[in-house]
Amino acid sequence: MANGTFRNTRSRGGYQLPLTVLFVLAVAIVLIGKAQSTLFDRARADVTDWMAPGLQIVHRPFDWVSGSWHNVSEGYGVYEENVRLKEENARLRQWQTAAIMLQSQVKRYQSLLHAVPDPSLSSVLAHVIGRAKRPFLETMILDAGKANTVKPGQAVIDARGMIGRIFLAGNHTSWVILLTDLNSRIPVTIEPEHSPALLAGDNQKAPMLETLAQGAKVKPGDQVVSSGDGGILPPGIPIGTVIADGAGYRVALLSDPATSQEVAVVDFKNPVEAPPVPTARDLPVTAAGLPPAAPPPAVTTTPPPPAPAAVVPKSVAPAPKKDIAPKPAATAKPAAAPDATSPPGDDPVEDQ
Amino acid sequence: MISRVIGTVTPVLLAMLGVMIANLPVSVLGGIVPPPLLGLMPVYFWCLVRPDLMPPFWAFVVGLLEDILSGGPPGVWTLAFITTYALVDRQRDAFAGLSGLGALLGFAVAATIACATAYGVEALYYWRIPPLAPVMGELAMSVFFYLPAAMFLVSVHRRLVGPLRSDF
Repeated sequence: MANGTFRNTRSRGGYQLPLTVLFVLAVAIVLIGKAQSTLFDRARADVTDWMAPGLQIVHRPFDWVSGSWHNVSEGYGVYEENVRLKEENARLRQWQTAAIMLQSQVKRYQSLLHAVPDPSLSSVLAHVIGRAKRPFLETMILDAGKANTVKPGQAVIDARGMIGRIFLAGNHTSWVILLTDLNSRIPVTIEPEHSPALLAGDNQKAPMLETLAQGAKVKPGDQVVSSGDGGILPPGIPIGTVIADGAGYRVALLSDPATSQEVAVVDFKNPVEAPPVPTARDLPVTAAGLPPAAPPPAVTTTPPPPAPAAVVPKSVAPAPKKDIAPKPAATAKPAAAPDATSPPGDDPVEDQ
Repeated sequence: MISRVIGTVTPVLLAMLGVMIANLPVSVLGGIVPPPLLGLMPVYFWCLVRPDLMPPFWAFVVGLLEDILSGGPPGVWTLAFITTYALVDRQRDAFAGLSGLGALLGFAVAATIACATAYGVEALYYWRIPPLAPVMGELAMSVFFYLPAAMFLVSVHRRLVGPLRSDF
């Protein structure tokens, strides 16, 4: 292991100028990367796509070794763990019954209130073909990419809870940034107080709770779910349980990225909120029994219309004269109008 | 002629191979053990032994490859490799004269410079103090693996590039 120099072809420090130039270039790359963090994303995605078939073969023995190591390290407390899990299971069964009852109750109330339906969720099942734990990055590589409608920002969950989110999508592979990663920050809600907070990874097993609202009451054991703020992640995905850490709080995650083999990439479509179609009764002037306002001036700049009645919508035009005097028949007709615009299946009787 | 070409490209190819192996997204022992800086070892070794075969440009390229494959912020390892190269280049006489445990210590110093630079850039990049333990783990693993890696590099150098000074 000798470091002897056989043929030193140049004097010491002869690379001063190239080194200075390359140093400046490297600093420039850091600065450009700061301004545009997706600088290398295309190259990374291409390399991962290219490596995907090989990774699928290579990762199996490594995962087996990793899983065995995990099992051995957890094997010592298996009896105590079993007793604890049985107790927890019995408790959770009670909660499950309560949850089912509450769910049907909430559904009934929603239908009674004509509440906005929950956003539609669809998911893509993907296999984990790679994991990497570097000092500044904890990631997971999945065998689903743009070809499977996977997009950056989508949430990745396993059977227990949220693992992370997609931050780079190639054609057939995608990279997941784990919740524990240094760069991960997601908006969460702490239940049951419904306190908003930020969940920030710091490369430790349990990420930190940051930016708690003033006066927020948080205690160990509270549940943490995604808040859905920002409209990128769906709300209500279970994440973990609050644990105390000195003066602050951390979250013990429900999921275990080290052992997850199959995960779901959740495609969250925030529904576009369309205002309800106004009826004649919804117009204030019409409801007050007055004739509708004259058409806007823009209409008059075009060739003059033959008569004002032609400009006014037919459904609105005859209404004022009829509704000047409150008649039972006139009030009954608009009442039927919202039913025509409401989505199907909103009948409270049907849900009960 | 062919053997001369092979000898010339071997250091750079080995450095790139080291980067690729270190960045294979496979979790060894559940991610408890971080991967060593396999790309830095050939850069350091040939920067001392035959700097004409590992000029700064190739150290830059190897660092860039590390950045691309590791998935971290762009430029962090490029800057770390170039900084390490510059400091080792300035103190070549001191580093090249080391042997045995001293050579291991020499690499430990070089790896510490690389990790400290990466840590500092990362802290500035995100404007927060990253945890120290993962970087220390990577540094420890790099130093630990330098011993077998250096034996391999010496063997490759003798077979494909030429004899070392210590061979005379």
